[in-house]
Amino acid sequence: MKLVVAGKGGSGKTSISGTMARLIARSGRDVLAIDGDSNPNLALTLGIPPDSIGELPTLPRDLLQRTQDGPKLKQSLEEVCASHSLRGPDGVTLLVMAHPQHAGAG
Amino acid sequence: MRSVIEVAEDVCILDTEASPEHLARGTAEYADAMLIVVEPYYKSLETGRRMAVLGTDLGIPRVGLVANKMRDERDLSAVREFARSNHLEIAGVIPFDDEMPGAERAGLAPLDHAPDTAAVAAIGELAARMVGDGRA
Repeated sequence: MKLVVAGKGGSGKTSISGTMARLIARSGRDVLAIDGDSNPNLALTLGIPPDSIGELPTLPRDLLQRTQDGPKLKQSLEEVCASHSLRGPDGVTLLVMAHPQHAGAG
Repeated sequence: MRSVIEVAEDVCILDTEASPEHLARGTAEYADAMLIVVEPYYKSLETGRRMAVLGTDLGIPRVGLVANKMRDERDLSAVREFARSNHLEIAGVIPFDDEMPGAERAGLAPLDHAPDTAAVAAIGELAARMVGDGRA
C-alpha cells in the first residue's frame, strides 16, 4: 500500500505519519517512510536521532534515467536504500528527499 | 520517485507538504490513498479541502481528512459539518494531546515518549483501518 500523508506545516502530519509508520511496522509489515518535506523532520517522529541523518545522502535528482519503457531507477531499490536510507526502530526504513540547506534542489 | 514508490516494500508512507507544486511534481499520483491532516479551524480545513481536490484530480482512489488536535464536541461538529458540505471523508479523528508536543520537546518519537497516550492510540486505530486489519 502506498500512502501519502499531506498537510500544512504545524498540522501534526509528521507526528502522525511517523507514528503510523512505526505501528504498521510493528504489525509485521515492511515499511518505507519517505520524508518529502523541504524541512525534513520525519526522523524525529520515527525515533531516529535527527543528528544521525546529517550525513545521509538525499535522493539525487539523477536517480531516474529515461528509457524506452519510461523512467527507471538507475540503481535497484536495495542499492538506493543501502546508500541513502536509515533503518529505525521497528525496522522502518527512512529515505529523505531533501536536506534543509538544499531545499531548492529537491 | 515514482519507481521507488512502485517497488517499495509492503507499505510506503510519503510525508509531504502537499503544496500544489509538490503534488504536481508527480510523486503522489501513484498512491493508493491520501490522508490530509487538518486542524479544527477554517483556514486549515479550507487548505485541506484544496489538497483533497488536488489528490482526487491526480486520481488517488481514497482521499480523506484526518482531523488532528481535536479538543471537544464543538471541534468535532465543525469538522464534520465542513466535511459534509464539501463531500469529504473523515478518515480519522486524533484528540488534542499534550504528549505530542511533549515528545518533540523531549526529542523523542511520540510512540517512545508516551506509547499509551490518547493521540497515539487514535493514530494506531487509523493505521489499522488504512492497512485493512486490526493488527496495527
